[in-house]
Amino acid sequence: MESAVIAVSGLRFRYAGAEQDALQGLDLSIGEGELVGVAGANESGKSTLCYALTGYVPHFFSGTLVGSVSIAGHDVTRTPVSLLAADIGLVFHNPFNQISGARTTVLEEVAFGLENLGVEQALLRPRSMQALRATGLDDLADRSPYTLSGGEQQRLAIAAVMAMQPKVLVLDEPTSQLDPAGTRAIFEVLRRLARDGRTTIVLTEHKLGWLAAFVDRLIVLHTGRLVADGPPRDVLAEAVEHTWGVGATRYTRAALAARRQGQLAAGTRLPVTLEQALEVLR
Amino acid sequence: MTGDGSARSDAALRLHPLTSLGFNLLAVVAGASLPSAPLVLAVFLGLLVPMAALARRLGAFLRTCARVLWPFVVSLVLIQGFFTPGPSVLFRLGPFNYTLQGLEVALLFSARLLVGLGAATLLMFITRPDALMRALVERGLPNQIAYIVVTTLQIVPTFQARAHAILDAQRSRGLETEGPLPVRLRAFVPLVGPLILSSLMEIEERAIALEARAFNRPGRRTSLVTLADSRLQALARWLMLLAALALIVVRFILWRAP
Repeated sequence: MESAVIAVSGLRFRYAGAEQDALQGLDLSIGEGELVGVAGANESGKSTLCYALTGYVPHFFSGTLVGSVSIAGHDVTRTPVSLLAADIGLVFHNPFNQISGARTTVLEEVAFGLENLGVEQALLRPRSMQALRATGLDDLADRSPYTLSGGEQQRLAIAAVMAMQPKVLVLDEPTSQLDPAGTRAIFEVLRRLARDGRTTIVLTEHKLGWLAAFVDRLIVLHTGRLVADGPPRDVLAEAVEHTWGVGATRYTRAALAARRQGQLAAGTRLPVTLEQALEVLR
Repeated sequence: MTGDGSARSDAALRLHPLTSLGFNLLAVVAGASLPSAPLVLAVFLGLLVPMAALARRLGAFLRTCARVLWPFVVSLVLIQGFFTPGPSVLFRLGPFNYTLQGLEVALLFSARLLVGLGAATLLMFITRPDALMRALVERGLPNQIAYIVVTTLQIVPTFQARAHAILDAQRSRGLETEGPLPVRLRAFVPLVGPLILSSLMEIEERAIALEARAFNRPGRRTSLVTLADSRLQALARWLMLLAALALIVVRFILWRAP
């Protein structure tokens, strides 16, 4: 646990006025540079987990929290969110609502967070442009954020957080409002970010095909409990045996159908990605 | 985004935001203090119009002033003319007398409205709201207040776009939104609830996004944009402040006009 950049122990949280716990006794440890996906049905606690990892639970969303949450060396339950922002970034599903409204160009929007952190003026433009290049938005630096497409606005939100160089980046369904092209662009950005190995990424998604192909590790939440944790292929294969509401990728469904028709041996490991499906077919 | 795509002249752009603000506030104070319509109109023609011309926005400036102001001028001229008593009757309409004194009051109020509206319009044309807020934050205005002002200035296009989207959705479900006034008024009712609710949801998510950018972090902030200033402009701001104070003193002590 000492080397973990994310260490959650016995986390239980109930929103104020709620009748049930949104998270029930979660234990989770994530190391530096890991890419972890979070899957689960609606109301399974994915967003609450994202907010707990970034301090919005309990500082922004009030309720009763039990347990400990340590992220990038911060006790999140005791540190204000504004002080966590330098080390822990959050991107959520609505691209439009992540535009601050305080700046008029894309470049200024990205620099906004750095200004608030008091980053030296000479570094504001280079760091902002670096983030824009990493997200493929450098040509749009002088545009108004409101003139960007939904996918571009979501990349802008990622750029604005990336520029702050957090140790941990949490993304809560970042592609839920995007079309396939926008989704692809977001995952390509995250792949580039993941290559440096310094940023720990935790990503919740319903698009299992993308998640399975992208993350090294997948956890599943069901009614606020962590019910599975491991490589995506193993976890999603286990998920089809349970009623966790996670679903399956198209490749898994095809393999299950083939198995039912006797075209695939019963013990064959179920694929979750295209590459794995091709491997099974061979 | 209001005012974002407009072309401002370099001269007007080079003004420090506080200089622009001071200039327009001086115009407003002058308009409110001077006792006669010709003098107030001179403020409009002598201060605001030349600045709008310098900013190459004269046409848009005058059109905006005219478009917004004319209903108020018509109302003032009618109401003040017919209901302000005075010895000089210009004409009669039934039992009502239209007086010269009423017309003078109407013209004075109209001129003051023109200067106030003109100053606000000109400020929007020649000053980026975020630049103005940066300048005020540098002078000690809390970040949060500056943010509220900037986003309020930009809220109208956002609100309009959301209202159109809601109306489109309602129309696709059979709601009549065009036609006689009663029909359009009825369409207003199912628009208000979703508009307010969606705005409230947006507020929560935007607050989260702001926290993610360390908006409420205490301590020193830096700025990507350096606001150009000069000793001449600083001196001009002091002189404008003194002129505004002098006008207020003269207005309340010497003239005591309504």
